[in-house]
Amino acid sequence: MDPPEAELCAHMQAYLDGDIEAFDALYAAFAGRLRGYLLSQCRDATLADDLLQETFMQIHRSRRTYQPGRPVTPWIYAIARHVHLMKRRSTGRRTRFEDGMAADARTADASHDSIGSIVDGDLVRRALREVPADQREALLLHHVEGWSFVEIAARLGIRVNAAKTRAFRGMRKMRDHLKGSQG
Amino acid sequence: MTTPTPPKLRDAIRRDLRPTRPLRPPFVRALVLIPIAVAIVLSVPGLRFFRSDMAVIGFVKAWGFSFGQALAGLVIVGVALRESIPGRALSRGAVVATVAAGLAIPFVLLAVTASAFNVGPEQGRAWEEGVGCFRVSAVSAIPALIAAAFLAARALPTRPALAGALYGLGCGLVADAGLRLFCEYTVPSHVLFGHGGAIVGAMVFGAVAAKIVGPRR
Repeated sequence: MDPPEAELCAHMQAYLDGDIEAFDALYAAFAGRLRGYLLSQCRDATLADDLLQETFMQIHRSRRTYQPGRPVTPWIYAIARHVHLMKRRSTGRRTRFEDGMAADARTADASHDSIGSIVDGDLVRRALREVPADQREALLLHHVEGWSFVEIAARLGIRVNAAKTRAFRGMRKMRDHLKGSQG
Repeated sequence: MTTPTPPKLRDAIRRDLRPTRPLRPPFVRALVLIPIAVAIVLSVPGLRFFRSDMAVIGFVKAWGFSFGQALAGLVIVGVALRESIPGRALSRGAVVATVAAGLAIPFVLLAVTASAFNVGPEQGRAWEEGVGCFRVSAVSAIPALIAAAFLAARALPTRPALAGALYGLGCGLVADAGLRLFCEYTVPSHVLFGHGGAIVGAMVFGAVAAKIVGPRR
């Protein structure tokens, strides 16, 4: 049986005051329900587990948006839904990006025999792995996640021009690898 | 307790856990914008000139209604801030009612307070005057828009475009509250484009800005 809202509100207030055991109590109260909810949304057990963790991290980051005295349950579910939608959006972008890269590679050499592997996306993933980690991160944040270079620079603690350079060099290396693996 | 917190998650939370003060209620936070709203209402006519029929329409219909409109704008910013709180999203009906009321306010006030209807720019200057009012209103809304965007970004707007459009609407109303002390034209084409268009422009700007900034968290 789910704990009453008043009890959840008390846990939430204690959590805002810095009590880790109150967080444990909230996790115990919501983890099962939230996992079921997320599973119903994404229909993938592994992804639902990841989203559950991300939901609790987002709850932690956004805990100051909880208004004391108000019901905790709708607040937490709204965050879970937000996390799920953000994930779905970024997955869609990533898929489009990989499909786009594969299409570029096909255009570059349509007659080549490796079309099957390109369609599978393996070629793109392999090419991405060949890109140095710092360049890959900037490349993915910009082209897949859609972050601006200002945001990437803030996130990585580098200058905006450095973020642009990393993403550009990463893309160039990836293209070279894709061309090389076909020729 | 039936489900223990996974150790890695618990460690991550504990490392970052400290007493946190919750955000104030949305309408209290919207009050932060009062000085900006007052400054906008005063500065739009103050930096240029007041409409020539100020004495005819009277103090209440001029200043009183302008500050009333600015207050309505702040209420809509409060609604936008509420929309930015997880679990407090507005219903579709509430959104439609808020937007309809917000867009109607300037026209209702115009109808109630105009000393004469069909007052318009001189022939051949309609476009220029319309663009002038649009520009004054849009530029005046910017300080309030920035402040409202900052307030909304401190929360977690789960529908950022909607939240942005609402605070754009609120800030557009605040700017128009100053503009109505400056512009006395009442012809529909000027009012719709120069005044209503600027409010809609602020809505669009707010929605786009929030959409770009909002989903990054």
